[in-house]
Amino acid sequence: MVPLRVRSWYSLLRGTSSPASLCRRARRFGYRRLALTDRNTLAGLWPFLRACEREEVSPLIGAELTDGTDRGQVVVALVKDDQGYRNLCRLITRVKAGEGLDLATDPALSAGSVLLTGDPERLAGLHDAGIDVAADLGNRPTETGSRLRRRARELGVVAVATPDSDLGGEDERPVRDVLQAIGSGTILGRHQAPAAAPLEAPQSYRQRFAVWPEVLSATEALAERCSFTGPRFGVVMPPWHGDGTVSGAQELRAQAYCGACRRYGDDLSEAVVERLEYELKIICQMGFASYFLVVRDIVRSPAEEAAERRRICGRGSGAASLVAYCLGITNVCPIRYNLYFERFLNPGRSDPPDIDVDFAWDERDALLERVFTRYGSHAAMVCNHVCFQPRLAIRETARAWGLPAGEIARLTKRLPWFYRHDQDDLEEQLSGLPTLRDQDFSGPWPDIIRLANRLIGLPRYLSVHPGGVVITPQPVSDYVPVERAAKGVPIIQWEKDGAEQAGLVKIDLLGNRSLGVIRDAVAALRANGTTLVEDNWQPEDDEATRAAIGRGETMGCFYIESPAMRLLQRKAGSGDFEQVVIQSSIIRPAANEFVREYVRRLHGGTWQPLHPALEAVLDETFGLMVYQEDVSRVAVALAGFSHAEADGLRKILSKKDRRRRLLDYHRRFYDGCRRRGLDETDIERIWAMMMSFDGYSFCKPHSASYARVSFQAAWLKTHAPAEFMAAVISNQGGYYSTFAYVSEAKRLGLQVDPPDVSLSGYHWTGRERRIRVGLQTVRDLSRETADGIVAARRVMPFSGMADFLERVRPADDEISSLIDGGAVDSLAPGANRSVLHWQAAACSGLRSAAPGRLFAPAPAAAPPLPPPAAVEQLRREYRALGFLCHCHPLSLVNGVAARGLVKIDALARCVGRTIEVAGWLLTGKMVATKAGETMEFLTFEDETGLVETTFFPQTYERCAHLLAAQRPYRLRGLVESDYGAVSLTVDRVEPLRR
Amino acid sequence: MSRERAVIHLNVADFAVSVERVVDRSLCRWPVVVAPPAAARSVVYDMSDEAYEDGVRKNMPLRQAQRLCRRARILPPRPDLYRRAMHALVAEARGYSPRLEHGAEDGHLFLDLTGTYRLHGAAPDVGWRLRKQVRARLGIDPIWSLAGNKLVAKVASRLVKPTGEYIVGGGEESSFLAPLSVLLLPGLAEQEVCRLQHFNIDRIGQLAALSRGQLLSVFGCRGEVLFQLSRGVDNDEVRAEGERSPAIEREWVFADDVCDQRLLAGVVAGLAVRLGMELRAARLVTRRLVLQICYSDGIRVVRQACRKSGTADDFLLRRLAEQALERACRRRTRVRSCRLLCDRLQHQSPQLRLFADPSEPSERRGRLVQALDGVRRRFGVDAVRFGSQPSLA
Repeated sequence: MVPLRVRSWYSLLRGTSSPASLCRRARRFGYRRLALTDRNTLAGLWPFLRACEREEVSPLIGAELTDGTDRGQVVVALVKDDQGYRNLCRLITRVKAGEGLDLATDPALSAGSVLLTGDPERLAGLHDAGIDVAADLGNRPTETGSRLRRRARELGVVAVATPDSDLGGEDERPVRDVLQAIGSGTILGRHQAPAAAPLEAPQSYRQRFAVWPEVLSATEALAERCSFTGPRFGVVMPPWHGDGTVSGAQELRAQAYCGACRRYGDDLSEAVVERLEYELKIICQMGFASYFLVVRDIVRSPAEEAAERRRICGRGSGAASLVAYCLGITNVCPIRYNLYFERFLNPGRSDPPDIDVDFAWDERDALLERVFTRYGSHAAMVCNHVCFQPRLAIRETARAWGLPAGEIARLTKRLPWFYRHDQDDLEEQLSGLPTLRDQDFSGPWPDIIRLANRLIGLPRYLSVHPGGVVITPQPVSDYVPVERAAKGVPIIQWEKDGAEQAGLVKIDLLGNRSLGVIRDAVAALRANGTTLVEDNWQPEDDEATRAAIGRGETMGCFYIESPAMRLLQRKAGSGDFEQVVIQSSIIRPAANEFVREYVRRLHGGTWQPLHPALEAVLDETFGLMVYQEDVSRVAVALAGFSHAEADGLRKILSKKDRRRRLLDYHRRFYDGCRRRGLDETDIERIWAMMMSFDGYSFCKPHSASYARVSFQAAWLKTHAPAEFMAAVISNQGGYYSTFAYVSEAKRLGLQVDPPDVSLSGYHWTGRERRIRVGLQTVRDLSRETADGIVAARRVMPFSGMADFLERVRPADDEISSLIDGGAVDSLAPGANRSVLHWQAAACSGLRSAAPGRLFAPAPAAAPPLPPPAAVEQLRREYRALGFLCHCHPLSLVNGVAARGLVKIDALARCVGRTIEVAGWLLTGKMVATKAGETMEFLTFEDETGLVETTFFPQTYERCAHLLAAQRPYRLRGLVESDYGAVSLTVDRVEPLRR
Repeated sequence: MSRERAVIHLNVADFAVSVERVVDRSLCRWPVVVAPPAAARSVVYDMSDEAYEDGVRKNMPLRQAQRLCRRARILPPRPDLYRRAMHALVAEARGYSPRLEHGAEDGHLFLDLTGTYRLHGAAPDVGWRLRKQVRARLGIDPIWSLAGNKLVAKVASRLVKPTGEYIVGGGEESSFLAPLSVLLLPGLAEQEVCRLQHFNIDRIGQLAALSRGQLLSVFGCRGEVLFQLSRGVDNDEVRAEGERSPAIEREWVFADDVCDQRLLAGVVAGLAVRLGMELRAARLVTRRLVLQICYSDGIRVVRQACRKSGTADDFLLRRLAEQALERACRRRTRVRSCRLLCDRLQHQSPQLRLFADPSEPSERRGRLVQALDGVRRRFGVDAVRFGSQPSLA
């Protein structure tokens, strides 16, 4: 018996088992072969092939195909050869596009596959069309099966047994019930789930089909015919089609030299020429010339935009390539900053590297649209398999249990946003979370959490990868099924690891908000009359900018604005480009002790290299491993790894399933080091440092490329703070809230003008020492109405409130927020906001009473209403805008004026003392100590400054449930200073009443 | 000569707790919360004033209530007891006027004393007497207020909660209401309250200072209602029992909210059986069943199922209830309680049908239902049940 019809959890919300556990189960049952036939998808192909290899089970590739919808009639296609695989990809693509599945009219699409069907009529139809078809009798003999078997005999077609399974075992049935309830949008007791079967042992099928003994042998024979065990494309490069007169390599050389002259002047130095020649040789030798040219074509602004320079930022290892720099794909000179090309491409590298480029976030969609227009069906985006994470699993399970949304949100909102599940017992883990200290875990919650725990890791849906695009010589659907994502773009069914394993080379085109910030700030600067020649712009060399970075005044600056980064900059006290590159790489989740060591060594502390052999390797970074490539370089230098092996180790450190795969590297590294005479303690120390790259880390080219953007941002903040802060808030998506950026603007001495329908644009604007709130910030105001306000104003300025209401016609909630935010104050000088609300309501009443009238009658005058109390007015302004333009909300809080509270800007004078301070909570970062306890670093502010605080586990345990962003607190703690960076170690916290 | 209207609003604050305290006087020393104590997800049904002071509110999860008021005595709700107490309260008041309007078991009643001076004396005296009588006979101390209409009487009794009385003289309505918060006005929608806050109108007097035209311009047709409310004008009569359309209803509150559809269907069937017994006892038939589902998040959904001809047959009532349930249960939320009501009542017709109607119960089934009634009368309503119907005893 060969299981020919098995669904994994990639049959979304249907199957419950991973391909890996199905393979394990198959092996345990003694199956030699196993088919994976997920419904309308090959998303699980690569995990399945990997698992089959591991379990030594031979794979059969296939899929269930339905008539247009997921619930239509099902045909199973099992692939016999390469052609069958291509056809299967095309068929799935057609099904996903909603096209019919009329296989009988186009038999060519079934070539290379054998189809299984359980419908006698369809069986006859497919057979008559000359398609290789078999009757699918299911997992037990039934009366329907008996009729089908008779019909198959009449047609001379084989009949086979299939497990038709969704479960890895009986114990997965409750998981399946929840998935079905989630899928059908109902609750558990209400949904009648269709029956689901597990994958059973061969003897079960043998016993059941003993009445039809020929069926099992026919099943084996059919499986024998399906010898296809996975696609082998080799490396699939994006095709470059020139004009046919020159090859890709020739064109690349010409373009690279042309770009080099543009970057360095016509007289190229020996170093540039030597490096270019070296890179070109390797690129052409490895067949990457067309790849570079395609990326260049994508990045290059089209003719109509040529006047406006497209802001880009090369990320990843591609930024180490001089050729890329000369082609305009990246923006840092690899020679000046000593970037290591081999990290990107080297002759020993077997897997294709990818070039990643950032674009301004709001330009990326148009760019992708152009790619799809140009390459048509030859381009698609890579997908993400979005899996259930604890928060989603708990939410969905609780909804299936029928718990009210508010009750679910009370729990899920208090899970840290980055919370990941890494223990077996979710219930225990949750009850240990300090933020959930007062959570009621009674009632059905234990059941919900237990089941949610089993959902974690199951794929929920496919989403679009943030930027990965594949461009292929043949239509993409010849390699992998393509479907449309919710946002309309075509996506392949594999995520980036799958695409990489298949050999599809991807190009990452990512959106970056900070490039939009710099673009807008530079444009505003120019519009305000300042000249900035960008070709000569070297912000890294600007003294004022470096000093500001050295003081950690980088809130709003890309990549270097987080509290941890700002603290490190203050400790380092150096705003040098080289140090910023190191700093932005060294801050990683598991590298705290190295950060401390870096600061010590930077300030002249003595140090010894990890090993004499590493002296030259890590000299630039004070003997510390900072960049990803340092892992590879150390492995080569100490353990004798080849470059390819060392690169493999580096890559595995960033993979999800690294633990098991690291074991082999661990053994080889230890053996290599021992052979070179290192003692065990040193090896352990070095391996531990390597493991600090676990999770995420960066390579030097990436950090240098980003540091360049950081410096541009810091320069703008230093020299054009109004334009810069306006651009930061307008582009949104920074590390902090708008509230925090407004406070920062005030600290920079800028005046914050409230929104005004007569003056504000959709975005914020800055000029000289003032910034004007944009209409985008007004709560409930739609983009359409905001644009309508700006357009109506352009035609003719508003003459008053009635004119504004008549011409703009905002919805009730929109005008209410505009009034509360102070945006219409200028239309009725002297009128209070109560009267404005009355006028708006009267106008709205008249409009709804006479909806068809072209001109609404003028409303009667408003009665004399009392103005709102000052505090109430501010409270509403805060609700409408999320901040206050003219004061800090902390100044309105009871008890802040109490004696004994220290202002934050005075903390530097209180080092070593325990003090009390009132602070507004901005943001926090939760971390785990070595002992596994939770603690948090939180940033508070008052009207005078920001303070970074530390809540050690004991304090955190006691008061985590009291902490919520955008609220005022009274804190007591010890003021500490580390290399001049002041922080507060809190021991008591008390919420202040607003 | 037009007679001055006199309406008494009698209100027993925290009715369930008051009744429990009558039954067990020792509870007067403690804050009391009425809620099913054994259930994991039970919510507060009622609470005493002391518990309210500690932050306990109706429909709050019991565990949260226990955290807020650790001293509270938790008692299981006894709706039958409260219903009996309500009947007793109504019986005390019924002697003073036939125009008496009351809720199910909420401790509220309106008594219209207009024109009863010669029979019972001045209305304030009746108020005092009624309070004394209720205290003496039932052991409950109600709030009472007297005014010219239900609106003003209700506002007045809100002012004196938890104990006391308030008399608003004829013609004093406007001056009485003027300094009060607009939030005391009954029947204001959330949106209207929000709009009044925007206009910075927080006193009823400010609202009364606005003209009808002004109110209509900003509140639309609701402006007229606000105009009347702000001036203490309420022409709504106190409706005597006979003036309301007759209906029979039954409610079931789950100790723990439920999502099991079969259990829910079973409970609704059980309620239908009870309504059927009451209908048959009163020789009535119904043409409509109305089901109100209260979800755990407080949202209520009301759906109905109708028949052309009336019925009191358990099987047909159950089918109607299932239809209503199918229409009502569409949300992805657990159910806290369900209330089944039958109205459009008619007397049973003794006339036999000339031709058999397949949609009507057969004579044989009629006999079966009669036999079931006999068993139920003797051994309890749940002695014979539909399959999957839980006991509601």
